Amino acid sequence: MTVSFDRSIIGREFDHTELEPITAEEILEFIAVTGETEPPPALADLVAPPTFVVRVRGQRFVPPNLAGVTSGLDAGKDIEFGVPIRPGDVLTSVSTVHDIYEKTGRSGIMSFVVLRTVVTNQRGEQVAVIDQRMMFR
Amino acid sequence: MPGSDFEHIDVGHELQPLRLTLTPEQVRRYAISARIPAGRFLNDEAARLEGLPGQIAPGNMSMAFFSRLLRESFPGTRLKRLSATFRVPVRPNQPLTVRGVVTEKHATDHGDFIECDLVLESEDGERWVTGTASVHVPPSSEA
Repeated sequence: MTVSFDRSIIGREFDHTELEPITAEEILEFIAVTGETEPPPALADLVAPPTFVVRVRGQRFVPPNLAGVTSGLDAGKDIEFGVPIRPGDVLTSVSTVHDIYEKTGRSGIMSFVVLRTVVTNQRGEQVAVIDQRMMFR
Repeated sequence: MPGSDFEHIDVGHELQPLRLTLTPEQVRRYAISARIPAGRFLNDEAARLEGLPGQIAPGNMSMAFFSRLLRESFPGTRLKRLSATFRVPVRPNQPLTVRGVVTEKHATDHGDFIECDLVLESEDGERWVTGTASVHVPPSSEA
């Protein structure tokens, strides 16, 4: 059975959240687990690794009208990086439904919903634009 | 790799692969650190309750390894764009290799850019995660 979605929800904002300030400890733990970047000799120079931004989550992960659909899989992400994240930054995330489309694969028709999250910092600078592709079948 | 080294990177250049075997504890720590502490990322037992054969790594963790490969290959540069497709769940305790190849390079007024294709694959060469990236090489004066 194919899951189909109402395309009228494209462009609709479903979350707007200001997050708690980022701490140095959070960044250092992320570096320790991934090895993505090296920690700097001085804490004052600490910058979060690029993909640290994927941990930014608003209060709603999916739009309310998708919340009942439980079979969604994280099919992938596209991230455009802006200014880096530093300790003390207060990030704001705004999420919208960016796109809905279908693809036919070996296992049949799959529906994709692209959720776009724009992350900015306390100065209004763009930190990242994250497009998450959720797959439903 | 700021400045003139950009000239010495050729299209087709293969990056030095990153070879890893994730431990269950490393995956668990990542899931908590990345604020996605779903059972399937924490341990085998919780993953089986979700119908999976065992613990899996979050897709985002694979993106961190793509980023690490690019940082180690092109020090002094900045990641501008990263895309990944999660084809097969990555499991702990399985050897994996992260590879990259330069597909394009171009110069702009804002610095130079290197485009790469990326893959995270199993010991048998099965492509678990694929991706692309754009890396910004700052002008020499900023390096």
